[in-house]
Amino acid sequence: MRIGLRTGGALAIQATDLTLAYQQQPVLWDVDLEVPQGVLMAIVGPNGAGKTTLLRAVLGLLQPAAGEVLVFGQPYADQRRRVAYVPQRGSVDWDFPTTALDIVTMGTYGGLGWVRRPGTSERTRAAAALAQVGMESYADRQISQLSGGQQQRIFLARALVQDADVYLMDEPFQGVDATTERAIVELLRALRADGKTVVAVHHDLQTVTEYFDEVTLLNVRRIAGGPVDRVFTEENLRRTYGGRVAGIGGRAVGNDLEPSS
Amino acid sequence: MTSAQIDVLLVAVVVAAACAIPGTFLVLRRMAMMSDAISHTVLLGIVLAFFVVADLGSPILIVGAALVGLLTVVLVEATSRTGLVREDTAIGLVFPALFSIAVILISSLAGDVHLDSDAVLLGEIAFAPFNRFAPFGVDLGPVAIWVMGAILLINLACTALFFKELKLATFDPALAAALGFSPALVHYGLMALVSITAVGAFDAVGSILVVALMVGPPAAAYLLTDRLPRMLGLSVLIGATSAAGGYWLARLLDANIAGAMATAVGIAFTLVLLLAPRRGLVAAARRRRRQRWTFARQMLLIHLATHEGTPTESDESHPDHMQRHMRWPADFSARVIQTATDRGLVVLEAEHLRLTPHGREAAKEAAVR
Repeated sequence: MRIGLRTGGALAIQATDLTLAYQQQPVLWDVDLEVPQGVLMAIVGPNGAGKTTLLRAVLGLLQPAAGEVLVFGQPYADQRRRVAYVPQRGSVDWDFPTTALDIVTMGTYGGLGWVRRPGTSERTRAAAALAQVGMESYADRQISQLSGGQQQRIFLARALVQDADVYLMDEPFQGVDATTERAIVELLRALRADGKTVVAVHHDLQTVTEYFDEVTLLNVRRIAGGPVDRVFTEENLRRTYGGRVAGIGGRAVGNDLEPSS
Repeated sequence: MTSAQIDVLLVAVVVAAACAIPGTFLVLRRMAMMSDAISHTVLLGIVLAFFVVADLGSPILIVGAALVGLLTVVLVEATSRTGLVREDTAIGLVFPALFSIAVILISSLAGDVHLDSDAVLLGEIAFAPFNRFAPFGVDLGPVAIWVMGAILLINLACTALFFKELKLATFDPALAAALGFSPALVHYGLMALVSITAVGAFDAVGSILVVALMVGPPAAAYLLTDRLPRMLGLSVLIGATSAAGGYWLARLLDANIAGAMATAVGIAFTLVLLLAPRRGLVAAARRRRRQRWTFARQMLLIHLATHEGTPTESDESHPDHMQRHMRWPADFSARVIQTATDRGLVVLEAEHLRLTPHGREAAKEAAVR
């Protein structure tokens, strides 16, 4: 409610009482998520906290045991075209026989629907998205020949080509070089300037305040959520990570206490 | 060739082409062993459907087989979803169970029908020409060609229509689901294609060859290209060529045709594995060898560059020193120096190696990387 009041209008994403279990083991427990429009939000929490599960539940890829998810006030199935998804880079087989441009073109498939094939206009849009992430000269490159950072960029380009209003990203900074990280941050800011909303699972606690406006601290339950300057406190981090965040001074929290998966 | 031989060859080539198309997606989805399972369990579908319609030529048999093919997939997935066994184990549990039920049914209840377990494993493509498709007394060729031709057309049409969906659901099922394309629907659709292809091919060539034709040609094509449409085309081409080559081999050796075709697929794959231009074992070995020489030459250049103009230069630049310093065998050292000289990177002056300007440039480049 607090956030809803702040922006007015429908929340980009509103999940209420979301509960999800794998084989009776709760992964998300009564989680509320409120993402105002036009912000960059980080989802932060230890391994196994349910961050990816939360994104996948919002996308309707997992059926929650309880709770509901609304995207701009409506169920996800009616708002598909307004949501773009960037999965973890490791979730696909990069030896798949295709090119960078073809992967980006997949972002246009949602608009095409069943059977219709991508044509010149789809490929032109895909090429433009590749250029937006600085990868235009790699269009015809086989995807396994790209570096980790380049693969992450074509995943982002694939999301850009969807021209969505909300972008859900699962660890967009995972295993990328410093150049790519800067490029991604600039891209996120450009999206925000266009009034888009970004929700990203994020691992590096040191950069949360620099990159994001809002943060949701998650550990099966939602520990806290809201503007970074208010919510991203030592006290909340300790509650999220248990006693393991000892001796953090201010916002500088070593990410070594959270080895990335 | 007699017309019967041409018929056999034609059936073989059409079967191979029909198998290669769904096989390509099975290989990319890492589900190759599912073809093994389905190509056996369709027998249960044939038997059960036969008990209903009592006609071995009825198309209902194909429907029954396709349903049992899908049942196989469902049972395998349900078994592995328990989390108690892995998927490969689940395949190994489910398909022998269904297959053995079929074998028992045949041996105990259908003893007087032409359905025997030998024909199931190896098929009898040699008999394909004798079963003619002759509506109203007009001979239109062997039934097997019509059946497999129809299945090939179905495979081609489905792949052409749903190419984008198959590609997306294979590469990134999560995105496919998020965009509203049901990956489960694509999955079971593909499994249905695998099942009808298996049952059609099975009658002609038996279950072993179905597996060989579904897995071998796509696996070989995967090593030859990194574009999906080309991989599909090459799979069909390799499958059809192997089928024709296998038929020739069978005649040469007077051997079982299906067995010879499976052997031909194996030979084709082995040739590709060895000789594929970029990914083949020979190409990889040559690349490693070339890299070894390049690296050795770079070490030589960097070594000379490091000591250039230093007091120890005359010691460090003696050809014999290279052997000791880099721990190179004498002949290897000699060849490295020889190739470096041939390329104008170093010159031998009064028993000492000197970098040419070109060599100095190359050393700088190598050291940067």
